[in-house]
Amino acid sequence: MKGKKTEGGIARYWPRFLLIIPFLLVAFVPAYNRLEPALNGIPFFYWYQLAAILVGAGVVFLVYRLEVRVTHTLQRKKAELDSSGTPGDIL
Amino acid sequence: MRLDPVATGVFVALFLLVTWLGFVAARWRKADLNVLHEWGLGGRRFGTVVTWFLLGGDLYTAYTFIAVPALVYGVGAMGFFAVPYTIMIYPVLYLVFPRLWKVAHERGHVTAADFVRDRFGSRLLALAVALTGILATMPYIALQLVGMEVVIGALGFPTAGFVGHLPLIIAFIILAAFTYTSGLRAPALIAVVKDMLIFATIFAAIVVIPAKLGGYGAIFASVPQEKLTLPSPTGASLGSYSAYWTLAFGSALALFLYPHAMTGILSASSGKVIRRNAAALSAYSFVLGLIALLGYMAIAAGVDKNPAHAAGFAQYGSNFAVPALFLDMFSSWFVGVAFAAIAIGALVPAAIMSIACANLYTRNLYKEFWKPHCTDAEEARMAKIVSLIVKIGAVAFVVAIPQRYAINLQLLGGIWIIQLLPPVLLGLFSRGFNALALLLGWAAGTLSGTYLAATQGFASSVYPLEIFGVTLPGYAALYSVLVNFLVAMALSPVLDRLLRRSGAPAAG
Repeated sequence: MKGKKTEGGIARYWPRFLLIIPFLLVAFVPAYNRLEPALNGIPFFYWYQLAAILVGAGVVFLVYRLEVRVTHTLQRKKAELDSSGTPGDIL
Repeated sequence: MRLDPVATGVFVALFLLVTWLGFVAARWRKADLNVLHEWGLGGRRFGTVVTWFLLGGDLYTAYTFIAVPALVYGVGAMGFFAVPYTIMIYPVLYLVFPRLWKVAHERGHVTAADFVRDRFGSRLLALAVALTGILATMPYIALQLVGMEVVIGALGFPTAGFVGHLPLIIAFIILAAFTYTSGLRAPALIAVVKDMLIFATIFAAIVVIPAKLGGYGAIFASVPQEKLTLPSPTGASLGSYSAYWTLAFGSALALFLYPHAMTGILSASSGKVIRRNAAALSAYSFVLGLIALLGYMAIAAGVDKNPAHAAGFAQYGSNFAVPALFLDMFSSWFVGVAFAAIAIGALVPAAIMSIACANLYTRNLYKEFWKPHCTDAEEARMAKIVSLIVKIGAVAFVVAIPQRYAINLQLLGGIWIIQLLPPVLLGLFSRGFNALALLLGWAAGTLSGTYLAATQGFASSVYPLEIFGVTLPGYAALYSVLVNFLVAMALSPVLDRLLRRSGAPAAG
């Protein structure tokens, strides 16, 4: 709300673009509106969408892990800068 | 239908366990329950695991468990839209709501209307948000009762007249009592039991039932071919394809705007908890997908041909498919477990919904317009009383009015609640939007959405929109929220300039 420029800016949030994947998985209905190939007697329409749930969950989890890592890296860089710092930083 | 003593015994025992838990919950993470954010948000202290159970119990309601497979049972593939819907809700949850949590936490917001009031400084816009939330949630609570009524009927309780409603009324008195004393802590604790029962039931169902019916291949083979996929569009229409996708996408956008979902989110202890849950809650999505398949299992088992179920189908329609399937496939004691899972699955969201409505009424109507200087204790007491009134209203609704209206109203509720998307989304992610423009957008969206539903006789929320000679059947909520966005964006700069020139203060 108060200005969107948080530390790291867009760099910190790049993993979020991956969240488009779950939407793409189910976006084009005719692509999965079919019976074949069936899996164990389950038509494609059903097992594909059930599998898409798992992939979607995997993507969200991945984004979370990546963001945690990106944030840590940025903080470490910042800390290094601070410690190498000029006298002004200490005061 | 005769009363099954074993199933009923197990059912009642589990119900009593949950009742006890509901009252004990008052002492869990003990705090002063005479403060609204303690009673109505559990003190914003729920960690990843409790939030997982709470949101899971909140979003995947008893009605979902009954209605989704009933839809698959009745219309086939179209009913499966619930699956892409659950795939799309989690990216939305991840992107939008940790930010809302942060703002709400810093500024002490308890409801979405609190946020809108603070962000845009408009009492009118906040009032619109609060009223929309309450109106959309009331029929939702009533539907939880419908879900509960179906399983109580399936146990063999008499269903006619006042005696028929008695078990339901007793269940709701219990619910009202522990919600009053324990607030959001009660459904949070009960959700743990509910989810374990649901998971046990579903895993038993997907193992036991296909084994009895000759495997998944045999189940799908016994379903009429034309039900298994969406009908291909003909002529200049996108037909069922656009309907399927817009229903899923529109419902996904609407979900977290519901007050009960908001309450669940705001009670988390950090934004990180919400992000983790955006991934972890998919476990429920997967279970929902399996539950949807119960509809086909019911077709394969031929539940409608069993004369013992004739009365049930006559009374509840295809909503009776899943209870009938369980009755045919499980032994008595496990029927008790499965039905208890569904009934308790109604209690958790009903409790959270009534708390959410109470929070809205107290914060955004009572305190805003009548008693701006009420004390914390008065505020909390008011909310507790309102949570009672909301539940009485829901019971009266179900007892007095035909079920069909509850379903129609719930359908309208989805169209109304999605209109909160522009104020919430633009409030979180943009700077200057004119409150009056957002209010007019909300009005335009609500009116156009209601009109689209009215053209379908309030029986379907899919509207065949025609653009350049192509028919796009789609979810009326999605179309109307587009109107809402367009009006808000078009009017915002205009109104900003007009109001500044005339020197008038912003709306509200």
